[in-house]
Amino acid sequence: MKSVLKTPATPSIPQVKSRSNLMQSKAFRSLIYWLILSPIVILTLFPYAVMITTALKPPTEVYSNPPTWFGSHLEWGNFAKVWAQGFGQNMLNSIWVTLAATFLALLVSFPAAYSLSRFNHSRRFTGFFRQFLLVTQMVSPIIITVGIFKVIASLKLIDSFTPLILIYATFNIAFCTWMLQSYFNTIPGELEEAAWIDGCSRFQSFTTIFLPLALPATAIAALFSFIYCWNEFVLAFLVLRTPEHATITMRVFSLVGGRYTVEWEQVMAAAVLATIPMVLMFVFLQRQIIRGLAMGSIK
Amino acid sequence: MKQEKFSATALLFPSLLMALIVLGYPVLELLNTSTHSVNKFFNVGDFVLFQNYVNLFQDEFFRAALLRTLWWTLGVVGGTVLLSFPIAMILNEDFHGQAVARTIILLPWAVSLTIMAVVWRWALNGESGLLNLTLQSLGITSERIQWLAESSTSFPMAILIGILVSIPFTVTVLLGGLSSLPKDVYEAARVDGASGRIMFTHITLPMMKPFVSIAVVLNVIYVFNSFPILWVLTEGGPVNSTDVLVTYLYKATSAKFFGDPGKGAALGIIMLILLLIFSLVYARIAREGDEVRA
Repeated sequence: MKSVLKTPATPSIPQVKSRSNLMQSKAFRSLIYWLILSPIVILTLFPYAVMITTALKPPTEVYSNPPTWFGSHLEWGNFAKVWAQGFGQNMLNSIWVTLAATFLALLVSFPAAYSLSRFNHSRRFTGFFRQFLLVTQMVSPIIITVGIFKVIASLKLIDSFTPLILIYATFNIAFCTWMLQSYFNTIPGELEEAAWIDGCSRFQSFTTIFLPLALPATAIAALFSFIYCWNEFVLAFLVLRTPEHATITMRVFSLVGGRYTVEWEQVMAAAVLATIPMVLMFVFLQRQIIRGLAMGSIK
Repeated sequence: MKQEKFSATALLFPSLLMALIVLGYPVLELLNTSTHSVNKFFNVGDFVLFQNYVNLFQDEFFRAALLRTLWWTLGVVGGTVLLSFPIAMILNEDFHGQAVARTIILLPWAVSLTIMAVVWRWALNGESGLLNLTLQSLGITSERIQWLAESSTSFPMAILIGILVSIPFTVTVLLGGLSSLPKDVYEAARVDGASGRIMFTHITLPMMKPFVSIAVVLNVIYVFNSFPILWVLTEGGPVNSTDVLVTYLYKATSAKFFGDPGKGAALGIIMLILLLIFSLVYARIAREGDEVRA
């Protein structure tokens, strides 16, 4: 048993930072960056502050003149009042449409991205396919309103979720495919090739090696599709006709659109309820989102 | 490898097929409708070839909306890209609270455009709106402004909100680009004694070009087609003075307004053509730029 002699570490001499090194210090840099970002941060947070404070105002004090940020007390009852109007059903509609459309979008995007990433296509064909995806982004619901309306009416699908799910899914193909393809390019192909040499089929190497590595990326692609479907308005506005079939976004708009008297405290309470699920997802996953999008181009 | 080629194409096929059917069918219907006279209940009448298009161009509100769409798109996309670049540069650095800053900047993405516009409509309220309160308490304005009563204030406000909600997506694309730039190039430049400014203009900007291109093209498409902000804020009013093409299209089509789906269909076709022309021209310019440098 040898006792190890611990030599006390030499205390480091604090360096006096010279003026030219000021920018080198992280604290100072952080301060400068936050100062530069402050206008955009304030402008971004402003609507949230408006939303939350108005949602908590007593109804009689919303139209106060001069305006104030807070009422005489916090009125939590606004949320209950809104919920009692059947918002739960609208939430469920949104959840159903969002999940179904996202599943469908990934179902066709995943194989497409795998093919673009793992098979040798001619450059011309890849170029064509990318152009085609870009064109799908141009054909937005508002532009083809009349066409969509005629098709849906002739198929007797007005006020049904089916056209919504199909069109949302189609609209998300481009983004999901772009994202998944750039992810898949970062998964080294050698792993799969080694498995083929060991006698695995392409399908076996796909399920055992590729799929587990591709799942996190797929989750992020799904998140973007969620956000799009949850928040989409134009198509829902065109197709859905009854309040109990409305998506949550549309329901919030219906409290404002075409009305002369608007009960703003209820509108804002509804807006908070509609926004919470997506914001929570975003905050929890923001690290993965950024890393995911950045990973797309790291070789 | 016949087998390989087959599966490569087969895997792409579902996405192509789905997009062609789901989007192609309405586009064909749109073309068909645009060349017929259609009443407000969508009952298709006689074949009139280009009459709907002619009617459209003879409408002064349409011409005004066309011009306004140009300003709207230029204003929002220009402002977004100019602001997003420095924001992305900062968020790419390592500093205290970087994760918090990133989350805040990206937050608007998680909220529906429609709901964002609803909140702003309330914030811009002339009597009880919290924007006037904030501006007055900061001493920026002295009296309360009726933001949405006049197009001269509501349209610039709509552009500002458009910029705010477009920043998250654009920053994300640019951040993806910035974080993928090779570090060794910068190291080499530093060894050669290049200044920060030179590094920015000679390394960062040229290498970021493809990412800026993606951001510009996609933003132009999305902003050109963006309906909710202007619709929620002003419904194109007062008296069509804030109409852009999409709100005009909705009004032309809807029985509540002009109730002329033929006109709406013709405008849809025109908008598609405009977007196609834009992306072709932009792709050509981007490619030429590359050739000049190479």
